[in-house]
Amino acid sequence: MFSRLKQWFSGTENSKREGKGSAMATQNDDRLKNNKVGPVLRSGDMADAAVDAAEIDNPGKEISVEDMRAYLRISTDGELILKRETMEECLGRPFEMKELEVDLSSFAGQIDINTDRARFYLNTAL
Amino acid sequence: MTLLKREDWYDLTRATNWTPKYVSEDELFPEEMSGARGIPMEKWETYDEPYKVTYPEYVSTQREKDAGAYSVKAALERSRFLDNADPGWISTMQAHYGAIALAEYAASTAEARMCRFSKAPGNRNMATFGMLDEVRHGQAQLYFPHSYTRRNRQWDWAHKALHTNEWGAIAARHFFDDMMMTRDAIGVSIMLTFAFETGFTNMQFLGLAADAAEVGDHTFASLISSIQTDESRHAQQGGPALKILIENGKKKDAQQMVDVAFWRAWKLFSVLTGPIMDYYTPLEGRKLSFKEFMLEWIVAQFERQILDLGLDRPWYWDEFMRALDETHHGMHLGVWYWRPTVWWNPSAGVTPEERDWLEEKYPGWNDTWGQCWDVIIDNLKNGKPELTGPETLPVVCNMSNIPIVGTPGNGWNVKDYQLEHEGRLYHFGSEPDRWCFQVDPERYKGHLNFIDRFLAGHVQPPDLMGGLKYMGLAPGEMGDDAHNYEWMSKYAKAAS
Ligand SMILES: [Fe+2]
Ligand SMILES: [Fe+2]
Repeated sequence: MFSRLKQWFSGTENSKREGKGSAMATQNDDRLKNNKVGPVLRSGDMADAAVDAAEIDNPGKEISVEDMRAYLRISTDGELILKRETMEECLGRPFEMKELEVDLSSFAGQIDINTDRARFYLNTAL
Repeated sequence: MTLLKREDWYDLTRATNWTPKYVSEDELFPEEMSGARGIPMEKWETYDEPYKVTYPEYVSTQREKDAGAYSVKAALERSRFLDNADPGWISTMQAHYGAIALAEYAASTAEARMCRFSKAPGNRNMATFGMLDEVRHGQAQLYFPHSYTRRNRQWDWAHKALHTNEWGAIAARHFFDDMMMTRDAIGVSIMLTFAFETGFTNMQFLGLAADAAEVGDHTFASLISSIQTDESRHAQQGGPALKILIENGKKKDAQQMVDVAFWRAWKLFSVLTGPIMDYYTPLEGRKLSFKEFMLEWIVAQFERQILDLGLDRPWYWDEFMRALDETHHGMHLGVWYWRPTVWWNPSAGVTPEERDWLEEKYPGWNDTWGQCWDVIIDNLKNGKPELTGPETLPVVCNMSNIPIVGTPGNGWNVKDYQLEHEGRLYHFGSEPDRWCFQVDPERYKGHLNFIDRFLAGHVQPPDLMGGLKYMGLAPGEMGDDAHNYEWMSKYAKAAS
């Protein structure tokens, strides 16, 4: 056992590898064309409050929430704001913006965070 | 007393550059460690980290995070989750801890390099916290599995794996050494924090947390998603460095670093994360397929961010998109077939119901990988288990250090991408793997993958037992089928 090195592959170099996946690859690529931004929060009080706060702080924008049980993905197009004051209201307790980090596992877009608000955004639209 | 807002004083206190009097700037920040790439100090001083934190904030936030993760562990300890967990899920955790825990400690050294040698004060500041973060990740991910070591020796590999020459450990070490241990500070900020942490760690620490919550492992879900909150902060060190590189005519360098790190991370995840998400995790616990998680985290989120920061798609984008339907199925087949050579028990994951799921998620699966599994199933059914184990060695890629795979069966396209360099013949699993070598042959040319070592006579005796000994795998550690072939009963029944 295990004593000989068998060349179990074939094929030549420099030719482009094809597979049944080529058509599917185009579908995969469609996922790139999005302008979604927003936080991905570990499930819990803070995530629930952020869902409510996102609705209040981004009037007129459609906020989508994907519940993955371990985490919630909150997103909208282009820019999403979460204000400290709104989070405080939604949580029903004092809240400092830095606390968001305890559950902020990831985010779509870029981040800009200060004492009063967190902002998720993209510079370009696709 | 009214406290100033952080943004009112942060920029001032972060400005820690000074004019050295006793040594030259080059002695203080040697190029090979700092990686300023000819961009002057004052440009690096414009580095503006988007995710700011101060030391008092850091301490209180981290304390709260740890209190959360450790209290979930303590609270659930009596629930005996592990006693009743599916063996495939146990394997998932063992593969995770072995490949990741010590790499976290190593990441601390990489953060320390930025902390000391980056010319950007903001980078040095954030890396101080990043360094502490990685110590936390190393400690937690050793502490949690340590409590399971009395169950069996495979849990010990959480600490042992990266100290061995097990082939997967060689692959993981080669990757992490390349991304973070052997790069200058700016290289680390781009390759480790931007390309790897902003992107791929989400797969292993959030995608997998979703699966963990679904199978009821709230201890693991809570731990890894908490770790990822540190990552999402310190991963933000790469963005501002990218901006400075692009503004100063170094876009090509930056793009190349991102493209190399992205491809290499993808290959490592195709062998680590792919099999555990699509084959080891019990069917009812699979929140999304590996490909769907890749599309969520890597394509829709990470690659979109790459474009927003002013970089382009990697040149191999079409091949990456195509490989999402292919590579990890080949890796899984290989890992299961060579199962004595890993420190966990691979789950086959090919019961009739699981195959239906695979066919739905990856149309054509039965016609390709399914055909290989049909042969394995027939051999097991006919009482010839010896035909389902390793007889030969696979051909291993000289970049990813994992087997060269492609689609088998009716979609056959397996190919070896070769390169002769200074008289040595190298084998690669794809055009991008070969390209990674070609852009920096000096860096990679001396490395021997497991097969090279075997052929060079390092493995003695040159057979399976010698190979396992070389890899540090003793009985009780080497893998076998996770469910002890019980899943075959579904096929026996179907036949009778
Ligand atoms: Fe980490
Ligand atoms: Fe990290």
